[in-house]
Amino acid sequence: MCGIAGAVGLKDISNVLFDGIRNLEYRGYDSCGVALMNGKGIVVKKNVGGVGDVYQKENILRHTSHMGIAHTRWATHGQVTRNNTHPFLSCDNNFAVIHNGIISNHLELKNRLQKEGHRFLSDTDTEVIPHLLENAYKKTGNVEASLLQTLKQLEGTFAMAFISNYEPDQLYCAKRESPLLLGIGDEVKFIGSDFNAFIDHTKNAVIIDDDEYAILSKDSYIVKNFVTREEVNKPITRMEWDSETSKKGGYPHYMLKEIYEQPQTVLNAMEVEEKTIDGLVSMIHKSKNAQLVGVGTTYYVTMYANYIFSSLAGRYIPAISSDEFVSLSPVSKDSFVLAASQSGETYDTIAALKHAKAKGAKTGAIVNVMGSTLSRMVDCPVLQGSGPEICVISTKAALAQMILLTRTALKLGVKNKSLTQKKYDGYMESLKSLPGIIESILNERSGFIHRIAHKHRNVKHWLYLGRGMYYPIALESALKMKEVAYVHAEGMPCGFLKHGTLAMIDSDINSIVFVPPSSEKVLYESTLASVAEIRARDGYVLGIHFDEGNRTQDLYSEELILPPVPPVIAPLIQMVIAQLFAYFTATSLKRNVDKPRSLAKSVTVG
Amino acid sequence: MKAVILAAGKGDNLKPFTDTRPNPMISVAGKYLFDHSLDLLQKAGINDIFVVVGHQKDKLVEQVGEHVHNGLNLQYVVQKRAGGIGDAVLAVKDKILPGEYFLLIYGDIMTAENIFSKTQQSFHAFKGPVASICLPPSNEMFGNVFLNANMNITKIIEKPKGDDLGNYVLSGVYILPESFFGLLEKNNRSMEKAIKALVMDEGLRASMWEDEWLDVVYPWEILRANKIIMDSWERSEISKTVTLEANVTISGTVHIEDDVIIKAGAVLEGPCSIGKGCYIGNNSLIRSYTALGDNCSVGYGVELKNCVVQKNSHIGRLSFIGDSVLGENVDIGAGTMTVNRKLDWSTIKVKHQKKSKDTGILKLGAFIGDDVVIGAGNSIEPGTIVPPGKVLPAHYSVPNK
Repeated sequence: MCGIAGAVGLKDISNVLFDGIRNLEYRGYDSCGVALMNGKGIVVKKNVGGVGDVYQKENILRHTSHMGIAHTRWATHGQVTRNNTHPFLSCDNNFAVIHNGIISNHLELKNRLQKEGHRFLSDTDTEVIPHLLENAYKKTGNVEASLLQTLKQLEGTFAMAFISNYEPDQLYCAKRESPLLLGIGDEVKFIGSDFNAFIDHTKNAVIIDDDEYAILSKDSYIVKNFVTREEVNKPITRMEWDSETSKKGGYPHYMLKEIYEQPQTVLNAMEVEEKTIDGLVSMIHKSKNAQLVGVGTTYYVTMYANYIFSSLAGRYIPAISSDEFVSLSPVSKDSFVLAASQSGETYDTIAALKHAKAKGAKTGAIVNVMGSTLSRMVDCPVLQGSGPEICVISTKAALAQMILLTRTALKLGVKNKSLTQKKYDGYMESLKSLPGIIESILNERSGFIHRIAHKHRNVKHWLYLGRGMYYPIALESALKMKEVAYVHAEGMPCGFLKHGTLAMIDSDINSIVFVPPSSEKVLYESTLASVAEIRARDGYVLGIHFDEGNRTQDLYSEELILPPVPPVIAPLIQMVIAQLFAYFTATSLKRNVDKPRSLAKSVTVG
Repeated sequence: MKAVILAAGKGDNLKPFTDTRPNPMISVAGKYLFDHSLDLLQKAGINDIFVVVGHQKDKLVEQVGEHVHNGLNLQYVVQKRAGGIGDAVLAVKDKILPGEYFLLIYGDIMTAENIFSKTQQSFHAFKGPVASICLPPSNEMFGNVFLNANMNITKIIEKPKGDDLGNYVLSGVYILPESFFGLLEKNNRSMEKAIKALVMDEGLRASMWEDEWLDVVYPWEILRANKIIMDSWERSEISKTVTLEANVTISGTVHIEDDVIIKAGAVLEGPCSIGKGCYIGNNSLIRSYTALGDNCSVGYGVELKNCVVQKNSHIGRLSFIGDSVLGENVDIGAGTMTVNRKLDWSTIKVKHQKKSKDTGILKLGAFIGDDVVIGAGNSIEPGTIVPPGKVLPAHYSVPNK
């Protein structure tokens, strides 16, 4: 099997053909070649190797041309040698031919042609075709008639194409059994074994049937049957193709891809150098008044860090939403302000840090984009190394920031002696187990999350509830639901319920509760008390919990059960579950997941 | 790329309809399942298609024959050795060249959006073997896959018992290399084992499918397949040879084909499809998700709702057919009622292969095989299967002694 491609009409044909046959490499890749038409005639360049190699070896991109054909080969007749590589020329160099298929009577034809004085350079079946064309042209003086006469003599299977010096603006092709398509652009026409050969240029294709041939020029094409010689009226098929898909690598959306990349981004965050973390730790340790800033998702990231610094390092470090920072923060030269931002270009966060700097504060930032404004303006930048996040909604970048802030809190705890080294080591072990746990949960739980999200896709109002460090997780998860599914979701501490919100509970409002592991006894029991309050009012509760062993019957309306995990990573795993829940709600509602309305990747306006 | 459609299976679970036809020859929303697949293949740029036939092959071969001129190069291959999916795949072994990749499709799956195009696009990115995966309504009937972030399948668990796994599952669409035939031969012609061997050897990447997907296994799933297709319709199509008498009311999306006659007072609530040459009697009510095959007739005052009727069937006056599937040449007498719910609103069970199977559905009528004749005045219990050719006498409250 081989792949063929061809194009007529563009100026940079050698480039177009490069992409074309490289996309066909799956059909064969032991050797390849091109025939290009330029002002002086046909130029053939070919060699053994993959498309990239041959293009480099033969310096093919150097050639300018308005028409050409290209072939990538998978040897069937003849060894893998340069001579056996397509295209093949006629003795007089007036025809260059590429072919996919097997000419079954080639030996017989070759004998005859050799007797007539034709010189063969290869062991292939294909090479008879240019010589047959040359013979026929001598008799008919017409390229199309020569093709017809040649086709009459060929037995076997073929998708073939040729260019000829006699008609330097026309590309000819014909098919029997081997696949062949035309690509129809405005001022350019293509051929290909399949539409991968030209999909980057046009989605309009004409499917050539057996016993048909076509003549293409820049502005037109005609398809005829070579048995009946009648013109065939062919419909144009519009290929269903999303050029972004190949970049998404099998995922339907970047958001899902990035959710699935989280095991790797956690690993990357764990591999950020100790001394970088130590830099942040000493800044915080030295400052009298440390503060965290972020906005949107990163505000909730810093809010989570607020709990983590309190519980692991005994240090209260408030989180302030960047947009409120100037109005609220008592920043001074004794302050250290640490920001989190995926892009490092967020207007509100930059404004907050400018304000802090102007007041003489020290600054730091955790960012994903190297060289961004934030990374350049702060005293202590930390690159989280999460790789590009293309979906506008942040998932993997936020999780990586939480990991880095947790590492910072742990180190600070050791430094200020609120954590023993042993405890520190234990927590680090737990963090290291996170990637494996996320991968197995994504594998084994996606279906359950999808079913529940799909079932409740038309619910208009959600309450997201959590206590302690599960509260910022509830806030962040609710934000995911709002921004990607456009569904009202309100994050709230469980304790707030009985201070008014319970009045809202009825069949029109659903709740999601982030339940801590039962080993966190106080948090766990008080969270369950809130579940009971809602259920007592006939409210729906989806419980996300870790009680795999001892399922509590009918405690929740529905549940997503997770395997037991160490408490320090439990909220992070629940956040991943909530990302998927928002994602599946959005896809069930046919939302534009990767580019939701009213949101940009980095909000650079105030 | 060549496509291979597997259509040789017996489809035992789809009785009574597969007693007389292969799965892909069931018509929903006005087209055979097979033709829905061909439409999608054509739009995915596939023009060489091999259909592996076996069970009831003559009907499919005849249908394949009709498609040669539709821009598609269709050929059928007879599965000589009866056996599993692996045997069916091996039937096309000599059609695929060394080094070539082919698109493999299980004949009983259906989607409204183009799963073949999506899978090909993933192949375009991976340039290696690809399996389409999806999230099914339940995991226990399928191959559950484990993935890493690069979409490499690392493990497959076939048909897990219980409800512990909520994985993506193999959706019955693959792009496989020619070397896969060798893996099948080495692995006792078992598809499951050969796929696992491929995962270990060359690797198998996944392509996630997120739109509606259905494996048409049980007869009530024919109704679901019908709904999936009708929900994807964007506009109505009414042939110019249709006769519409006075006071015919049409709403929603409808497909009405050539030479249909709709008598005065009929109401059509889309989505619904009416095949060529159908007759819709006076004052009949055709409610949403009804699909009538070619040349059916519907008598005066009949109500049809969410039902799929194959071609040449006749529904007598003042009948109600709802949440039901009817075969070809079915003759329903006047005043027949398919009761479609239990008195207590419990889910409907269907007696299937001698076992009672809970469908989980609250409203379901009957499944009536080809050539069945039902006399006037019968009422049919929810979930009843009537085998092909059965004749049920009329039900008289006042018999002629």
